[in-house]
Amino acid sequence: MNRPMEINIWGGDWGLPSVDIYCLEVMAYAKFSGVPLQTCVTNNPFWTPNGRLPVFKHGKQVLSSLPEISAYLKQKNFSADFGLTQKQCADAAAYTQLLKEKLHLALQYVWWLDTKNYTELIRPWYAKALPFPYNYYYPGKYEQEAKKHLEALYDQDDDPLTIESSVYGEAEKCLTVLSVRLGDQEFFFGSHPTSLDATVYAFLAPLLKVPFPSPALQNYLKACTNLVKFVVRITQRYFPYAIQEYEAKKSAESGAQGKSDPESDFPNRRRYQIVAGIFATAAMTGYALSTGLVQMSTKDEVSENSADYKDLFQAAENTED
Amino acid sequence: MPSVLLTESLALELGDRTGNSIPAHEPWPQDVKLFQPYEVEQILLPDNANCLAVQTFLKMCGLDFEVEQRSNAEYMSPSGRVPFIKCGAFLIAELDPIISFVNNKGISLSDKMDNAQKADMRAYMSLVNTVLANAELYITWCDKTTLQEVTKPRFGSVLPWPLNHVIVWQKRSQVVKKLGVLGWAHKTLDEVYQEVENCCNALSVRLGNQPYFFGDRPTELDALVFGHLFTILTTPLPNNRFASIVRGYSNLIDLCKLVEKEYFERTAES
Repeated sequence: MNRPMEINIWGGDWGLPSVDIYCLEVMAYAKFSGVPLQTCVTNNPFWTPNGRLPVFKHGKQVLSSLPEISAYLKQKNFSADFGLTQKQCADAAAYTQLLKEKLHLALQYVWWLDTKNYTELIRPWYAKALPFPYNYYYPGKYEQEAKKHLEALYDQDDDPLTIESSVYGEAEKCLTVLSVRLGDQEFFFGSHPTSLDATVYAFLAPLLKVPFPSPALQNYLKACTNLVKFVVRITQRYFPYAIQEYEAKKSAESGAQGKSDPESDFPNRRRYQIVAGIFATAAMTGYALSTGLVQMSTKDEVSENSADYKDLFQAAENTED
Repeated sequence: MPSVLLTESLALELGDRTGNSIPAHEPWPQDVKLFQPYEVEQILLPDNANCLAVQTFLKMCGLDFEVEQRSNAEYMSPSGRVPFIKCGAFLIAELDPIISFVNNKGISLSDKMDNAQKADMRAYMSLVNTVLANAELYITWCDKTTLQEVTKPRFGSVLPWPLNHVIVWQKRSQVVKKLGVLGWAHKTLDEVYQEVENCCNALSVRLGNQPYFFGDRPTELDALVFGHLFTILTTPLPNNRFASIVRGYSNLIDLCKLVEKEYFERTAES
């Protein structure tokens, strides 16, 4: 089986290799275990087996969640967890559940249920990334899913603000626990990244890098300096291309902005001036012609010409005679 | 590194989820009551595990309480889940809020532990809360034989006809919805058993040869693990594979025996 392993993902932005938690998780895990993986940005979950990205393909194998993929990679002798003791594996399992229990809902909330984030940033981003006509369908669908998630876990009769503060409170506790556990270490179990590091990175990186309009939870994460350093370290070491792309894009944008700054109050000024000038000239000429202010002297010329022709004919006839 | 203390004290001033604010260091009152469904005829596996965990936690703290059994305990609870305690003017439901309530009285099982151990404890409590609790819900409400033979008769035992059918159906759809969003509803029974196996394995490895999870003194984690494992071991179900998975880990069984001996038989004698 020498066919390349391939993964279809959501695209990246803001210095992230992908904006989606689960895509990031699989990508980071593959990097940590040294799997040569081709990434393919599809931004379209419609043709996937269960309506979700990422999709991992290797020959006939099509898998879509990290436990399945890591089990498959283990058969192929790739794993990020070979160096762990049994106790460390148990700890990794426990912390993974902690993230899923406490942080997952909070991220869904920040992403889809915080109205300001959703309308100003998330929905436009997904609408732009998804191809037509899916861009009208998926953002709303994901919002509904997040709403369902919240309704199933919290009493709907409660005040929305109390629910929000309780969701964020749980997430903040979880971040503190992670920060304590990481301490000054490079990764959670020493100097080598493991599956737990992949999961933590996947949950924290989008929360840290996406420029949310309402950044309550993001600010809390920024205060946990060792977690911020952890995310930056992994991005720089394993996904340098994402940062480079983002910086190139940013500098291109700021360059374009710098040029158009004097005209920023009225973009494309010269073009509008020319178009307006042409329109005005055309309108005035049309009016002048239609009211007869200016008369084209085509008739006279024709009669003159025809007179000339007559002369010529007459001259010709005369010579013939 | 920001401390949780700040947000917690803020929550205290503003009032917690049940709308109560808790004055610190007021002594534990005498007439604390723990409300739960009827243990013999009504209670179901997941609720029983949670009730036992709270009872164990309070006993480990050395706090007095009386168990009140009510058929409608679930509807009396401020969060809609059992058990809940009535302590003076406050109603507090579920283990986590009860733990923080007791901590605010200056009583804690984990105050001698360092921060890293506390972090580990939280992570393992999450593991138990997600894996074991969801597996219990799955077996109780999604497994067809258990639903017909155990869940429906027990849950409906306190309700008159036709409510015993309607409410069971309503409750089931609620639980299925919750399991659905957590990604458990589409699992097969074998996958659920596999999750339980993995969870027990992690717990067993972490416990090792120690009497309790963090040395010689019991912690909140021990109370939670005991609540779940003891209930799984002692609840008769049509399919006892759940219990036999737990029986495969002798050190977890030893933990259950130790906690039972220390905190339940002693009080029964006195």
